[in-house]
Order: sequence, then C-alpha cells, then structure tokens
Amino acid sequence: MQNPDLIKRMQEKAEAVQAIVSKIIRLKDAFQYTVDVTKKQGGQTVVAAGLEAEDQALLKKQCETANLTLLDFPLRPQADKIHTALTPVDWGIAETGTLVLDSTSEDIRIATMLAETHVAVLPASKIKPDSMSLENELNAALKRDAPIYYAFITGASRTADIERVLAVGVHGPKELHILIMEENNA
Amino acid sequence: MIKTAQDIKSYKEKLKEALEDKFLRKALDTFNTVYRENRPTVYQGIDFEGIKEEIAAGKDAALSRLTELFEEFKTKAEAAGAKVHVAKDAHEANEIIAAIAKENNVKKIIKSKSMTAEETFLNNHLEKKGFIVTETDLGEWIIQLRHEGPSHMVMPAIHLSRYQVGDLFEGVTQQKLDPENIDKLVKVARQVLRPAYLEADMGISGANFAIAESGALGLVTNEGNMRLVTTLPRVHVALVGYDKLIPDLKSMFKILKVLPRNATGQAITSYVTWIKGATECGSSPTDRKEMHIVFLDNGRLDLAKDPVFSEALRCIRCGACANVCPIYSKVGGHKYGHVYIGAIGLILTLFYHGKENDRAIVRNCINCQACSSVCPVDIDLPYLIKKTYRAVLDQEGKTPAKNFLLSKVMKNRRLFHFILRRAYLAQKPFAGKEPMIRHLPLFFEKEHGYRSLPLIAKIPFRDQWRQLRTEVVHPKYTIALFCGCAIDFIYPEQGKALLDILKGHDIRVEFPMDQTCCGLPALMASEEETAKEVAIQNLKAMDSVNCDYILTLCASCGSHLKHNYLKMFKDDPDAPANLKAFTDKIVDFSSFLTNVLRVSSEEYEKTGEKVAYHSPCHLCRGLGVTDEPRKLIEIAGYEYVPSKDEDVCCGFGGSYSVDFPEISSEILKKKLDNVEKTDARILVTDCPGCVLQIRGGMDKRCGKIQVKHIAEIISEVKK
Repeated sequence: MQNPDLIKRMQEKAEAVQAIVSKIIRLKDAFQYTVDVTKKQGGQTVVAAGLEAEDQALLKKQCETANLTLLDFPLRPQADKIHTALTPVDWGIAETGTLVLDSTSEDIRIATMLAETHVAVLPASKIKPDSMSLENELNAALKRDAPIYYAFITGASRTADIERVLAVGVHGPKELHILIMEENNA
Repeated sequence: MIKTAQDIKSYKEKLKEALEDKFLRKALDTFNTVYRENRPTVYQGIDFEGIKEEIAAGKDAALSRLTELFEEFKTKAEAAGAKVHVAKDAHEANEIIAAIAKENNVKKIIKSKSMTAEETFLNNHLEKKGFIVTETDLGEWIIQLRHEGPSHMVMPAIHLSRYQVGDLFEGVTQQKLDPENIDKLVKVARQVLRPAYLEADMGISGANFAIAESGALGLVTNEGNMRLVTTLPRVHVALVGYDKLIPDLKSMFKILKVLPRNATGQAITSYVTWIKGATECGSSPTDRKEMHIVFLDNGRLDLAKDPVFSEALRCIRCGACANVCPIYSKVGGHKYGHVYIGAIGLILTLFYHGKENDRAIVRNCINCQACSSVCPVDIDLPYLIKKTYRAVLDQEGKTPAKNFLLSKVMKNRRLFHFILRRAYLAQKPFAGKEPMIRHLPLFFEKEHGYRSLPLIAKIPFRDQWRQLRTEVVHPKYTIALFCGCAIDFIYPEQGKALLDILKGHDIRVEFPMDQTCCGLPALMASEEETAKEVAIQNLKAMDSVNCDYILTLCASCGSHLKHNYLKMFKDDPDAPANLKAFTDKIVDFSSFLTNVLRVSSEEYEKTGEKVAYHSPCHLCRGLGVTDEPRKLIEIAGYEYVPSKDEDVCCGFGGSYSVDFPEISSEILKKKLDNVEKTDARILVTDCPGCVLQIRGGMDKRCGKIQVKHIAEIISEVKK
C-alpha cells in the first residue's frame, strides 16, 4: 500500500540529511538515472547489487551505450574502482528518512560502503512510519541461527570531528540518492 | 599517552594551562551554548522524561542479570559462527586480541572508534607486539597521529583547531593544505585511509549494543568507517563491555531514540548496523569472516551488583554530560576525565583506572546538575561523583583535615553556631564601612579575590526571631521557616523580607530553634554520615511544630531537604518514619507565593522597573521550579527582562568556589557579562548562595546592577 503522507515524510526527512530524493515509476528509470548521475560526476564505473539477472543485463547494456563499465561480481577485487552503486533497498522509515538494507551479501556491502555515490531504489509500498513498526521483520532476520549484516542508512556518511563543522562524505558514500518507486496505481 | 594529574597541586597547574587556551575556551563555550539551544528542537515531539525513565528501568533490569544475558548472547552468536571470549580485565582483553591476531597471521590492523579499547589502551598493547594499528574514525585518527587521548567521548578531537589538523595532515600527505577548507581536510582522511582498509588483515570495532535474544551486535556510527572495518579484513574482533548487553531489539530501539539526539543532535546517525556471526568474506581462506567478540569485565560485573554505583553502568556513552557541564566547557576533556570524559568520567575512572587517576579530578564538580538533567539514562551524576570521592578517600584511608573539622563541627549545632557568631568578630578588621570585604586577608591566595565577600551579620536571624514573630489567631496555613545558614547568619534581611510579605495573609510562621545547617555542605564534602545526622536533627526540629509547609528561601537547602534526604536514607532500616511527610512539605518561596498564596498584583505597587533573573541550579533543576519566580516578578509589578543562560550555574557551588576559585570566577564572569548585556538594573535570584556569588562579583567589578534575593524586591513594593 502506498501512503502519500508517508512518502512525503520520507522524502522530507531524507532531504533534511542531504539525501537527494527523486521519484520513479519503473525500475528501468533507475538505470537511466544511475547512468546520468555517473556521467555527470565524471565516474566511469557502475555496480549493481541485488538485481535480477535480466535487469542486470539491461543495465549493462545501458552502461555500455553510455561508455561506462558495469563491474562484475565478486566486487572485492575491484573494490577500489567503484564509482556508483545501484541497489534496491528492503524498507524505508519515514520518521527519520532511513533506508533499510539487508547487507549480508558481501557484494551489497562493498557496493554500498565503497562507492562514491549510492543510488537506492525504494518501493513506495515499503515505507514504514517508524523503526518500531519494523521490529518483527528485523527480529525474524536477526534471530535466525545464521550470520547476518543488516543496515539502517540515513543520508550520506558524515562527520563533525573537525571543529564540529559538518562535512558530508567521509569514509562511506559522498552522496546518497533515493529513488522512490511509486508503482502504477492505474 | 594520557597523563592525568594525580594530586590536586599538579591538577591545578594543568587547569591553569587549559584556562589559558583561547581556542579551547571559545570552541567549548560555543559548543555548550549551541548544544543547549538546539536541544528542544532535537527533542521535539519526544517525551524525554518518560523515555529516560523507561530506558533506565530497562538498563537496571539488564544489569541485574548480566551473566544470564551473556550466556544467551553467546549461545546465539556462536550458533552463527562467532567466537565469544571473556576478559576479566584490560590486560587480559588486550592479550586475547593480540593472540587472535597472532593465530591469524595478522600484520595490519584497522580500528573503528571504541571507548572500550581506549579503556584498555589496546593500541599501545598491539603496537608493542609489533602490529601496525590504524585508527579510522576521523577524530580518533587525528589524536592517534598526535599521540593523545580523546578529549570527548563522541568527538575525540574537539580540542583541536582546523589549523592544528591542517598542520598535522600536511605532515601526513607532504602536501600544502588549506586549513580553512574543512571539507578538503576530511577528504584527506578518506584518501589516505582507503588503502589501509584494503590492506588490513584484521578490523577491530566496539559495539553499542550486544543483543542477547539474537546474538547480534548493534553499532551506531556516522562516518562509514566502522562498516569498512567490519567488512573488508578477514578477521573482525569486537571489544564489548558487559554493560552493553541488552535483552532484545526493542530495548535497542528505545535507546536509539535518545542516543544520537543526545550525542550529536541527530534523530538518527547515518548508519545503524547489526552484525551477527561469521558473515561472507572474500578475503578469508574459508570465505567466512573470522569473527570474535571479546566481553570485557574489568570490574563491571562487581559494579553491577553495587547498590549505589551500578547506576553508572547505565551509561550509553552519549557524551552529553560533558556537553552541558560549565566546568568541561572551561577546561576541556583532557582536564575533565582520564579516559572516560565528563561527569561520568569522574565516576568511572575510579573503577576502571584506579584511585590515583581519579583523586584530583573527582573533586572538580560544582553540583549544578546540568549533567543529570540531560542524562538519557537518568544517572544522578553529581550525587555519584560525591560518592566516588568518598570511595577514593576510603580506599586511601585518609580523611582530609577539612572533612574532619566539618564533620565534628556540623554534628554539633551549638558549636557550629558559636563559630559562626565568632566569625562576626574575626572579620571586623577586614571590612570597610560597606557591608562587604573587598580585600581579603593575606592568608588567602590571590585567586580568591574575584568577588567581594559579605559580612557575617551582627545579629543572626534566630536571635531576632522573638522580636519578629507575630501571633496569628486563625491561620490559613502554618509554615515552618527553614532558614538555612546563609540567611540566618549572613542575610537575615532576606528572612525579614519574607515575614513582611506574609503579613496580612493569615499565615502563622514558626521558626524551630533547633534547626541547623541542611547538611548539603557535608554531602558535598562526601561526608554522608554527617549529612544524615544533621538531617535527623532537622527532622526533629521541624517535627516540633505542626505545620502545613516547610518553606525555604534557599534553593540549595530546599532541593537537598526534598530529594537528598530521601536518597541518603534509601534502604536504610533506621530511616526516620516521618521522612516522607517532611519532604512532601518542602516548598520554595516563589512557588509558595504564586501557587499556594496566589498573591495578586493588587498587593504591590507597580514600578515597572526592569529586573533580570538568575535561575539557581537547585531551583530549576533541583526542585524543577522554572515559571514561578518569573511570574512572581511580573505579578509584583516589575518587568522581567530575560538574559542569556539564566539557568546556567553562577559558579558558587558552596565550598567549590573556595576549592576551585580559578574556575568559579570564570563561570561567574560569564554570568555577569550576560546580565550586564540587558538593560536591567536589578538581578534577583532565589538562593542566598547565588546572591553571595553574583553580588560579590558585581561589587568587585564595580558593576551597576544590584543583586538581591527575590523576596527582597517583593517586600520593597508591598503596599
């Protein structure tokens, strides 16, 4: 279900922490967006983690057309080459403009931690009002007898360690782009 | 290396150095102000008082079953492939971590921020064993390069300017850098440290939470370095204090509501991460991370059982107790803690780093309660600091001569009052014609000369009582006046002002003669036994009259009688039976007038004179009274003129101003500057101690603003 108030709040809160929020209709829109952002920033590489094989192939084609390289898995050997990372995310939390991403896969982690720019696709139907309303989902994941690496991501990486002056983009991504995907209601 | 002063004399020298550091003073002063000003916005829509009580109760419940929670955590974490270790002290923790590094053939280690690793001096240990350790949190990296300890628990390099960081980074990069461009300086860390992550064999992190029900660690961070530290190297070691154990995810979510808000004013940090077990890791020969969790005891398990000090283990390391502390903002963290900084640092240092490192710093608390009012886990920090000082004294088997005398004299009311009367004669040679001592006798050091001192009254209030008392035949209420030493022996006119105001209101006032000092000075000197004896004397005295209210004109006496009496006798089988009835009757002057008497403006001659207000620590935070005095000023026909930082301490703190005059005078200076920026010609407050301090400072600087007790200006305009 898509709740316009939640979407609005999600957008406001995310923008308040310097995330760049746009709306898209289809996943494919995200591919063009990713290509454009990478070109604009002078980047040469793109990674996508968490996509279906056919979407991955489509993105690869779009990258090639634009003269960009879509890096293959595993990402670790190319960890120092990642410019843009495109990932779907599992949930959004409107209260704080937070993205929730199961990062147990190492490729997802490397992509979202080492990229200069992170482009995240958030289906509007996955926006929850607050973290407490995700308690059951998160708990189910955490309680399984299996390793897990789970992340709340809110805005780009930041610090105020020098004279308490806010600087965005320290060790993690310098920019976080959120594409809220509003499925076609028609 | 951290070198904390181990005696008061060298501590004083270090304080002097800090007070002369202009950058530090300005940076921390601004921080203190900005932090307090932003707080209401940050907490908008959140019931801070409610949630802090909930969290405190949850933490207490967890602390009472740490070993049980640990077993649950261990089972779950190990089922997911983690290896869980226990270290009984700092050395053992360091040894365990060094052994893990050795077994895994580690050479290079990267670290994310961990106060627990600071506590054990882990880096020193690993470096001695030949490992190369690189800190990756920006602030931690800066202080590592400078071979310093953190000066704040959240912002470890807050004591440094951009120029100092710029110079440092020029050394690292061998390039010219523009220190005005902080963004660029930050990017230096990004560039230089990137290869370090990729080359490292082992990553060390701390954790904010160890969740028992799932065996997952919870980490709250901003820079993104911790995520890299825990992802790229093939080995991950998390060093975690036992106090980080919580039962479930719900508890973590609750704390997460306050931790970032309190620490950095964020609703949430950039990253909140849960890590459990041996996750996928391409650089490991097994494709799985070698994941170790080392639980550090270092006294925590004993502390958790302590009826008084276990409260300190609730701490979630938000650093706010330093942010709002008027002393921290003057001297900085290197002089206000050992490893742990701020009010909580003055306490934890004794338990984690020994009495030698705590004995000087623990004395440096003015008891203004700014820290406890923002603590998100409801730790009574000023009270525990005094308890800690007592524990230091007990461990050292010493009673300072001052404490010995204080106890001896205070327990004996007649002797105490005899000495106060004698003081009137002793001070005579030093006073001029004015009721102030402006030039201190030579046996005082010059640091004490920042304020003029009042004279001891010729006739104390108690000796005037017979003449002052009036009969009220059909009283609406009977009040017992708890006078306090300052009004009794220094400012009887403030007590007389009260009697004048009450005239015509059908209030019977009693003054039980056996009342004595409230006992707060004894508690502040960590002489709780004396404070309790004095309390019993006061209870008996007040019990001798049948009253509806016990009224105080002194905020410090008031909050001590109301809250500390209960606290001191908590769990004491010999607690007086009438204690609760006694504390329920305590009321301060302004609240009594506005809420009980409901005085109206018709009773007063309207002058419209501009009046500034100083909110005493023990009134606004101690008794939670904020609106009443300001309302009362207006009701009485004055114009209340707000000034900056009204609720910040004036620097008095009783004997604090004598023990640390160099800091007391700096706090006072700011208070006076703020008041002088208004166009008020009168400043009032509800505490004779604050009157003493502020009036003394104003007199010394030949300021034009009159400083009075609020009762005085009300009585002046009574029709």
